[in-house]
Amino acid sequence: MSVLGRLYRGENDFDFQRAWRYGAAISVLLLATSIGALLTSGLDLGIDFKGGVAWEVPAPGVSVGEARTTMAGLGEGNAKIQIVGENILRVQAGPQTPEEVDSIRETLAALGGAEHGDVSVSVVGPSWGEEITEAAARALVWFLLAIAAYITVRLEWRMAVGALVALVHDIIITVGVYAIFSFEVTPNTVIAFLTILGYSLYDTIVVYDKVHENAARDRGREPYGAIMSRSINQVLMRSLNTTFTSLLPVVSMLVVGAGILGAVTLGDFSIALLVGLLVGAYSSLFVAAPVVTLLHRRDAANLEARARLERQDRASVRAGADSLDAGGDSTPASDEPARPALFSTGHPPRPRKQGKRR
Amino acid sequence: MKGKRSQGLGALLFIVFSALGLVGGTYAADYRPLLGLDLQGGVSVVLQPVGEASDESLDQALSIIRQRVDALGVAEPEITRQGNTILVQIPGVQDPDRALELVGQTAELRFRPVQSVIPEEQVQAMLTDPDSLFPTVTTLPTGTTVTDGATSTTSAPGTTAPPTGPADSVNDGSGDADELGFGAPGQELAAAQVAPVTTEAPPTTAAGSDTVPPEVVPPDTIPAPEIADFDPASMLAQLELTPDDQDNAEAEVVLGQYDEEGNLVARFVLGPSLLTGETLESARAGLEVAEWLVRPVFRSGPEGIDQFNAAAATCNPPSPTCPTGQLAITLDGRVISAPVIQASLFTRDQVQITGGFSEREARDLALVLNYGALPLELEPQQSQIVSATLGSDALSAGLIAGAVGVALAALYMLAYYRLLGLVGILSLVISGSLLWGLISWLGETQGLALTLAGITGIIVSIGVSLDSNIVYYENVKEDVRNGRTVRSAVDRAFTSAFSTIVKADVASLIGATLLYLLTIGSVRGFALYLGIATVLDLVASWFFMRPAARLLASSPRLANNPRALGITLPAEAS
Repeated sequence: MSVLGRLYRGENDFDFQRAWRYGAAISVLLLATSIGALLTSGLDLGIDFKGGVAWEVPAPGVSVGEARTTMAGLGEGNAKIQIVGENILRVQAGPQTPEEVDSIRETLAALGGAEHGDVSVSVVGPSWGEEITEAAARALVWFLLAIAAYITVRLEWRMAVGALVALVHDIIITVGVYAIFSFEVTPNTVIAFLTILGYSLYDTIVVYDKVHENAARDRGREPYGAIMSRSINQVLMRSLNTTFTSLLPVVSMLVVGAGILGAVTLGDFSIALLVGLLVGAYSSLFVAAPVVTLLHRRDAANLEARARLERQDRASVRAGADSLDAGGDSTPASDEPARPALFSTGHPPRPRKQGKRR
Repeated sequence: MKGKRSQGLGALLFIVFSALGLVGGTYAADYRPLLGLDLQGGVSVVLQPVGEASDESLDQALSIIRQRVDALGVAEPEITRQGNTILVQIPGVQDPDRALELVGQTAELRFRPVQSVIPEEQVQAMLTDPDSLFPTVTTLPTGTTVTDGATSTTSAPGTTAPPTGPADSVNDGSGDADELGFGAPGQELAAAQVAPVTTEAPPTTAAGSDTVPPEVVPPDTIPAPEIADFDPASMLAQLELTPDDQDNAEAEVVLGQYDEEGNLVARFVLGPSLLTGETLESARAGLEVAEWLVRPVFRSGPEGIDQFNAAAATCNPPSPTCPTGQLAITLDGRVISAPVIQASLFTRDQVQITGGFSEREARDLALVLNYGALPLELEPQQSQIVSATLGSDALSAGLIAGAVGVALAALYMLAYYRLLGLVGILSLVISGSLLWGLISWLGETQGLALTLAGITGIIVSIGVSLDSNIVYYENVKEDVRNGRTVRSAVDRAFTSAFSTIVKADVASLIGATLLYLLTIGSVRGFALYLGIATVLDLVASWFFMRPAARLLASSPRLANNPRALGITLPAEAS
């Protein structure tokens, strides 16, 4: 039976505890790359953060080279010039006097064969950009604090920690992607970041809710890792579906909106959203979950469950069970039951109760 | 079970009709979402004061800017203040550069001699029905009186007052027109008006001397002039309000006075500015002897009181420069007050302006004077001119992309969840209609604009909305796989699913609220729309999704055929 088929029927039983090891490796790699990129090439900040002036004019048939020659003629040869969307010329430069802004505007209009009124101009004072950045950073900090508080109250503190770790992980990687590919960071990007955080959080909470539900029932009987793994399996299909249905509009914005129709702002959003959605879905399962599991390792219920398992193990070994290895070195320190995963959760599947689901 | 089913049905019908009603109402009222700057083009600018600024002066600056923008005749400008920052957004403006210039100018408080006053009603009458207007015998207007604060009485027996209406000034904005006389044709429209003089204070003393000097009782009628050629057109031409860019200190201008609602009440023909607000040090409104008045305090010496006294001397007694004896206080092209000068020499801190003010009027005047003393210089921190074409391109791109995305997602839902997927799509339609209605209504009544960031927020919320459905359906599937019937699974799964949905939506809402409170500009718009859409998602989940699923499940044909609902039982593994 194919993987997809199993997923569809809800019969998936992946061993997430093992998968987490790979996940950890991948995450570390992504984080390292991102941080590295941030430190070396840094972020390409748009004028809203650095201050400066940006002009946008529809200019069919004009190449970057031509534009650069024109700008050089005005003494702004170092201006950043891009062709965005369909034939829209975008020029960004450092702070200018109002007369310079106007004259460059005229020149660009002439270059693109457009009217004076067709040129969009954006002027940002340098200190404003700082203020915006500060405001955004502040909002972010408050957001994280509020979320942590909410999760602690509704679920538990370990999950709050897990959620925060996942969010920070997402931020670093998404920012890193921007640094690696030198995408421009605009206020729209910031919006997209915040959206991603929202999504990632949403996703994480859905997983947590299921775990919480299961753990309430099975705490003493199963090690937390097993509970977690099982819960994830239960929500896996939903996670995948949601990510997919959320991706569709975003991809559409990117491909149709920015690509085919040339709306630049949509492109800014969409790239960040795309990256973030994928990373967010990943982090719920491979970062948030294992962190919570880790934090539960030492708690009483978990230890008790492990002890029980051990006893079961030894009992089975002593009873001469055939297919089970006697590698019963399941010390509390190790996360995995030390025997081959005949059953991926470490024990025979529990008979499903027909009774009340809490 | 039947009772429960009808309960669910009720909720479903309620929400469906609400959605339909809202959309229908929106169309009927021709409400539309208000498009933001980046979608319809226009100008936006963020202004910050240079140096320190008090709250009051910022508020005053805000209302000045609002007046200016209103004068541009733009629909739905948005002028707000956040802390130290003023954000101005003017969509759909024809001349963006001029708008930007206009908004950032520093406003100057000026004192100009009044040459004549014409109530707006008469101007309108001249426009529409000139023949009905013959210069008439008049009773005289009273001006507000400006006295040296040494005397406490401002009126004495025998003061003439027009028998009609509020006995105070032309500038209380009540709109009551006192009748005026027109000068004989051929004369300038600056007809002489003699204000009823009340008391005249002894010029120099500051201490309380209560002498009531001789009154000059003016004749209360002006002999009717001869009506030779009464030429409304030329009079009207002379009465045209001076546009802002010609409102220079040295020029003679015609400025208007407005009431609280912003309606033009009277037109003043004014001479060149005699002094500016910078001669003032401060101003205070106070209640004295049961009357509200305003006490301006001038700076001393040639920078302050001397200039005021020079102006007072031209107005008292009236001279050709100041034939009415009134000195108009103007700010930003509007006449705020035009008191009659009661003395020709004042001490700098012994000036008071009275005129039957209400508390509010007195305080407003004091605010204006205070502002004029230290006009706020605003510096644009960020400005943006979005051309209309780029704007509308962005809009159509956003809409098309959104539509394509939604269509794709809908197809997937149908394919995966079959009929339940249909419920999901309908749920999306319902919350979409509610959102549309809400945005249109907010746009009309609150001036809430839809920007590209807002559209993104909405597109994102599509994912959130579908997710609520997915959470629910997966729960249903799992329950069925565990042996429940479809019908009972639909019920039970909802409880746990909804609890999850609520937790996650609340987290979203927390994020949206924080963003809204802590940021400026487009991020705010995004947060707002995301927040609204999230709430609507909760509503749609509760009111539509569950009853609809239940309805489907209660049909026996479907209950026995779970595949139609997208649920595959393990036994059906082929």
